[in-house]
Amino acid sequence: MRRVAVIGVGVTKFGKHERTSGELFAEAARDALLDAGLPPRAVQALYYGNVVGGETERQLHAGPQAASILGIPTVPTTRFETACASSHAAFRHAVMEIAAGVSDVVLVGGAERVLNVPTAESTEYFAFASDASWEQTVGLTFPGVFALVARAHMAKYGTTEEQMAHVAVKNHRHGVLNPKAQFQKEITLEQVLASPYVADPLKLYDCCPFTDGGAAVVLASEEVARKARPRPIWVLASAAASDYMLLHDKKDLARVPATERAAAAAYRQAGLGPEDVDVIELHDCFTIAEIVATEGLGFFEPGTGGVAAEKGWTALGGKKPVNPSGGLKAKGHPIGATGAAQVAEIVTQLRGEAGARQVEGARVGLTHTLGGNTATVLVSLFGRD
Amino acid sequence: MTETATVPLREFFAEAGAGRLTGIRCRACGNLTIPPKEFCDACGGRDWERVPLSGQGTIASYTVIRVAPASHAGEAPYAVAVVRLREGVSLFGRVVDVPLETLAIGLPVRFRPLSIRGRTALGFGPA
Repeated sequence: MRRVAVIGVGVTKFGKHERTSGELFAEAARDALLDAGLPPRAVQALYYGNVVGGETERQLHAGPQAASILGIPTVPTTRFETACASSHAAFRHAVMEIAAGVSDVVLVGGAERVLNVPTAESTEYFAFASDASWEQTVGLTFPGVFALVARAHMAKYGTTEEQMAHVAVKNHRHGVLNPKAQFQKEITLEQVLASPYVADPLKLYDCCPFTDGGAAVVLASEEVARKARPRPIWVLASAAASDYMLLHDKKDLARVPATERAAAAAYRQAGLGPEDVDVIELHDCFTIAEIVATEGLGFFEPGTGGVAAEKGWTALGGKKPVNPSGGLKAKGHPIGATGAAQVAEIVTQLRGEAGARQVEGARVGLTHTLGGNTATVLVSLFGRD
Repeated sequence: MTETATVPLREFFAEAGAGRLTGIRCRACGNLTIPPKEFCDACGGRDWERVPLSGQGTIASYTVIRVAPASHAGEAPYAVAVVRLREGVSLFGRVVDVPLETLAIGLPVRFRPLSIRGRTALGFGPA
């Protein structure tokens, strides 16, 4: 298998936009190509993530639409849908296409537009990623899924609402340092704890926002990467795992086995362990999700992720800096774009170009993206020369 | 040898609507699970025995949904829970007739069929 590098990244401002998801992706992809120093004609394939375009924009077949707006209408284009992990799934397949020698340059990204519909509608569309027969009929929401995880984690390990609130405070503090973030303002522990319940024990400030935005990265073979940029960032591993989709089939709601399996596979591919990772972008769709992910990725023992958040170990300056971008919580979560946006942040960190939120001396980075009812997880590892 | 097929969703919910819950047990390895499943996820077998489930269990985890999706507008706040049945399998459903402030992990509950917006859904009430 050939080595694969990321040689260009682009991300739109996250927040509310009056442009279609296709336009948002094209802006991010334009910036990624300019960053890579490659002309559009160099792109040999587009792997694209978009989730609820069929609902919020009445738009299927979004891949070629986005490619047409970007100006690469003739390249093979495929849309991926693995709920919130869509563009990370796209990323993994693009890595394999280059590693296998099929292509030398592949564009990966995604975009989402949801703030053009009312909250009750977007809540409904996101719930389409839960089971239609068993769960949607009962009125399950995504905050509901992670509230069930949170309750189970609290009961099994003693995790507290205050520990969860620390995740929100930390990610908002990081978001202040990211000009692309949807929220660039600090919040206090008291504000989080006083915010209204959305799905007990999760409160408004435990939840990431609805977000419009796009993200893109340019992947290249080693031969192209050596010529295109002075500092390619290498993909050391990209792994996926799934789990039972239905809540009623899951064995232990306090854990996310797909994270544990994807992480194990990624560490094996790279020949690295959790102790080697310097900077992490992980899927904090809810504060409890960050706590459980830091355990599943092997940074902290099961049940101690809440303590780690409370003690500041996951903050910039801590021993395992998590979500320097602000994470989904503060940077925002345009679901189809999130996986690619996480890669963009890690590449920026490993290049040493993250400015005020730079993790000094970071050599190895990790991205973790979760889709649906904890049923899809992707983990990738990155390194620099 | 003729295998006995899984229980289709349509049949499970028709039965559930009449107050009867049906699990399936793998005849090869004894794994009890919720249908539909073609192959047993424990051993790969595909010969299933239908097993009536008691509907009695305890709450494994729960939440109160306060921001509802559009298709459940006006129903919030409502409680949902994963319930661990006596037989060892779990089911997810709406919790009804239990005061929200008394919800707790380990609370005994009992299945009852619900019709929510014209569709059969699983419910759990006081044991």
